[in-house]
Amino acid sequence: MTLFSPAISDRRTELQGAAQDPTPLPMKVAIIGAGRGGTALLDALHQIGTIGVVGIVDINPSAPGLRRAQELTVPIYDRVSNLLKNQQPSLVMDVTGDPTMESVLQKEVPPGTNIVNGQTSRLLWLLIQHETGLQAELLHAEKLAGIGSFAAGIAHDINNPLQLILGLAENLTEETDLDAVHLQARDIIEAVKRTTAICRDLTSYSRRTSLQQEGLISVNAKLDEALKIARYAVALQDIEIRKRYQPDMIAKGNPDQLLHVFVNLITNAVQAMEHQGILTLETTAVDEGTQIRVSDTGSGIAPELLNRIFDPFFTTKPPGKGTGLGLYNIKNVIHHMHGTITVESQVGRGSTFTLTFPGETSQSEGGSS
Amino acid sequence: MSEFKSGFFVGGESCNGRVLIVDDEPDIRKVVRMTLQKAGYDTLEAENGEKAIEVINSGENRLLLDVMICDIRMPKVNGIEAIAYFRQNYPRVPLIVLTGFPDTDMATSLLRQGVVDYLVKPVEGEKLKASVGRAMEQREIAHL
Repeated sequence: MTLFSPAISDRRTELQGAAQDPTPLPMKVAIIGAGRGGTALLDALHQIGTIGVVGIVDINPSAPGLRRAQELTVPIYDRVSNLLKNQQPSLVMDVTGDPTMESVLQKEVPPGTNIVNGQTSRLLWLLIQHETGLQAELLHAEKLAGIGSFAAGIAHDINNPLQLILGLAENLTEETDLDAVHLQARDIIEAVKRTTAICRDLTSYSRRTSLQQEGLISVNAKLDEALKIARYAVALQDIEIRKRYQPDMIAKGNPDQLLHVFVNLITNAVQAMEHQGILTLETTAVDEGTQIRVSDTGSGIAPELLNRIFDPFFTTKPPGKGTGLGLYNIKNVIHHMHGTITVESQVGRGSTFTLTFPGETSQSEGGSS
Repeated sequence: MSEFKSGFFVGGESCNGRVLIVDDEPDIRKVVRMTLQKAGYDTLEAENGEKAIEVINSGENRLLLDVMICDIRMPKVNGIEAIAYFRQNYPRVPLIVLTGFPDTDMATSLLRQGVVDYLVKPVEGEKLKASVGRAMEQREIAHL
């Protein structure tokens, strides 16, 4: 299996290093405060290869940032002095917003170690919030760009029932058999209902994701919903779909964003198969949490391209066919959900994308691992 | 009333000509069939390009088929592939495309390949009959 995340951080390290300093030393950062600000900072810094978050501290053991740190295997402390002594950070970031912390740090932090606090911390927090907003905008833009490719599918699904409605209505103008009139009128009603289902699917898919709306998502139902949406983008008629769902699987996150991830992965898988093949959707509980696998029997990805597919603007599709932001956004959403994405691929045989989300795997009591 | 099974014509009385309807949706085949039968045409049906090729190669259909109406987005052999096959193997049979997706580039390319008309669903019965009528004439001219 080719693990993705490490490959990507390596690449980022190289790129960012080249831009700033030919031999950058990893910056050892300690975060003081694990509330909302500390959690956001931890999430943002953790993604940057040249920064090592060496520890986080909070006196409140149930602070959200401490839980997040546990998932990321970042050391957790309940005392500032212990963190400083054990990790010797080169930068201490105080996001507690507590004025007394300033004097504590002044005493405890050894000379030569930089401190970020007060207004500077606040500025960083604002920048991170701004970036989170931009990422959400990017996701939405990419989603809307993708809907452009639904045109053929939508036209097919609307114009076929319209053809039936028109044909039957024309026939009704001359039909004299009352039974036939009733039958055809009912067919028209059914055709209208089918057409309205399309609008319902698409309006809910295209709406702007609300960032607050996080919760437990039933992943099996979400995969089924994604299949319905993906039908508009790609022809599924010749694709054999195999579902291997473990019942009641859940993941924690934003349901709209996860739907977008699934639609993208399914669309890519079907496009890789061109005409025919097998699409396998699998959910299982593993030690690390909930695992979702999307596999195709398509063209596969060349080994030299494998570590670039999650980069922004990287695409193998012809101009105008892909934004190159699909997998980049997927990776961001999955990281935001504290999950991982990996890919295995063989040219000519197909690809499997594996998503793993930490936490409870099942809503039923006791789980089903 | 005549009876039809997929691709095989059973019985029938009048004959202004024989039309093969290729569409994956049974509902579409039904309304096109209703319209054309009223106008005195015999109809054959196939649910995809692969079936259409089977139909046209079976029995007397090869000789007696006058016009084909073909959808584009279908499973197995899609419309584009089926049309390429028919143009190569049965150039004498005029082809009408009846699709749910208005695509100018595709229309141009298909008309260049010799497709006689590109109709976008939903198409009115009168328009469809007129198109089939024109295709029948073209077929006769080709035969002279």
